[in-house]
Amino acid sequence: MRRGVLALILPALTLLLLLTIYPTIYLYMMMFQSFNPLIDFAPKFTGLDNFVTFANDPEAWYAIGIMFLLTTITVPVAVGLGILLAIIFTSRYLQGKILIRSLMLIPMSIPAVIVGLNWKMIFFTYGPLNAFLQSIGLPPQPWLSAPLGDPFKVIFVLAILDIWQWTPFVMLAVASGIESVPSDIREAASLDGASGWSVLRHITLPMAKTVIMVIALLRLIDSLRIFDIIYMLTFGGPGNITTTLPFYIYKVGFTLTAAKANIGYAALLSVILLAMAITLVLMTLMRLFKVERIIWG
Amino acid sequence: MKKTHILTLVISLACWLVCIAYLTPFLWMIATSFKPIGEWATPELIPKEPTFKNYYEVLITGGIYGVRGHFPPIGRYLMNSLIVSICTSLITSILGAMTAYAILRYRAGGSMFANWILSLRMIPAVAILYPLVVLTRTLGLYNTLGGLILVYPLVTFPITTWFMIGALKSVPKETEEAAMLDGCSEWQVFYKIVLPQASGGLATAAIFAFLFSWAEFLIPLLLAPGEAAMPLTVFAAYFSNQYGILWGPLAAAGVIISIPVITLAAAIQKYLIRGLTMGFVR
Repeated sequence: MRRGVLALILPALTLLLLLTIYPTIYLYMMMFQSFNPLIDFAPKFTGLDNFVTFANDPEAWYAIGIMFLLTTITVPVAVGLGILLAIIFTSRYLQGKILIRSLMLIPMSIPAVIVGLNWKMIFFTYGPLNAFLQSIGLPPQPWLSAPLGDPFKVIFVLAILDIWQWTPFVMLAVASGIESVPSDIREAASLDGASGWSVLRHITLPMAKTVIMVIALLRLIDSLRIFDIIYMLTFGGPGNITTTLPFYIYKVGFTLTAAKANIGYAALLSVILLAMAITLVLMTLMRLFKVERIIWG
Repeated sequence: MKKTHILTLVISLACWLVCIAYLTPFLWMIATSFKPIGEWATPELIPKEPTFKNYYEVLITGGIYGVRGHFPPIGRYLMNSLIVSICTSLITSILGAMTAYAILRYRAGGSMFANWILSLRMIPAVAILYPLVVLTRTLGLYNTLGGLILVYPLVTFPITTWFMIGALKSVPKETEEAAMLDGCSEWQVFYKIVLPQASGGLATAAIFAFLFSWAEFLIPLLLAPGEAAMPLTVFAAYFSNQYGILWGPLAAAGVIISIPVITLAAAIQKYLIRGLTMGFVR
């Protein structure tokens, strides 16, 4: 590589290597050690003990399961709802299209922490939602502990937040996918007597398919990182019902409040989470996301 | 003709109703920020006796609410967030532009390098934060604004780089080649010729980096838990603790924290989806 080109990427490369290589090496070394700062003076090498702990830790397996459950609720709903909204919001009969789209940007521009706090107020037992339900004659619900009598349903409350924040993103992306289908193709089809619905079904949506796939995969990978709203809304509770893998790592490695609190164990869990995210990226997203074509094509 | 009018009316009405219903939670928070203490937890979207007391307390005096806790005025945390976000945004947009230019014109690092940067966008930050706590402690940057500015590029750099790749594509090659023949180095061509032509893209990239830095919560929660460098997102947790929720001040703080980013996101609306999908959707 020419020296001038190297000079262009060197500052960024140094910074990124420092921020990624150092943590990676640290994690790989730490996952064979045991260290709980509340008890131990220094980390000690324990070989594969953390792996054994992981294999026998139902909380960790539960955390992985609940992380994927949250994903399987949020991604299909957000994508489905987003496509539906994109279809009606790209209608040529809609007045004020530009304004309505700017307004729909609001949920995704708000920091997730604020979204979490906003909905925490709304779902509060003596809060506005329950007051509203009572005023129309419905029973109030303990949304953040056990809505409809089953604490497990708190997962759905968390899902609502993520869906609320990110459906507009899907909507706007799919809308631009739909609009990138040349209008003369659509017009030609409707002149041939195709109804609006069949133009949509057989021409517009198939042509926007790749866009929809990429958006769904981006949402999928992002949903493995959901943290802020759990922190604000439930803090992993009640009990450990909403403790997803990222939140479990936080409890095991940072607050040291989990039963298995240990920085070495948290390192192993982190490596597992990273491996899952990277596998997903390589196996799904990179197949559609042709870097060669996007950059130099 | 008649049918078109009816369709326009029905579809527009439906869309606007959906939009308003969708934004109701946020509208309710705005309303609550103007409500006096007696109305805090009510579902009304219009305060009966609107007041600025919540904003006054959050911005100027701070507040003490009996057993429910006390909160300091927002000023210092606003300052922390502004400094960190502006520095991160300047650093990563410029570094991102440099890297994007090297990738686009010289294929620096090949598709591997570009892929690697892209994949950084997908990393769950919680997984590598403990080592970064150790790193910032070692460098003496734990609990400082500098520590946050050092680590935030992990989040913002992939976005700015990929956005700049798209933005630099529209800069014509010919002037660059002419300057090269005149004996300019790659670096001189970049900052004398390419950068001025891509200034709009650079500003957009900077806004992207600002939006992401402003919203970041997990990194400062763990790298800057003390008062000295605490940004707004972590500060906001003050208003909701084990003693309960300080509804009015919380809503006011939420509005104050959201307004700048909503405005900036609206300003780059045209490019928002392109940036968030790393250039895949134009």
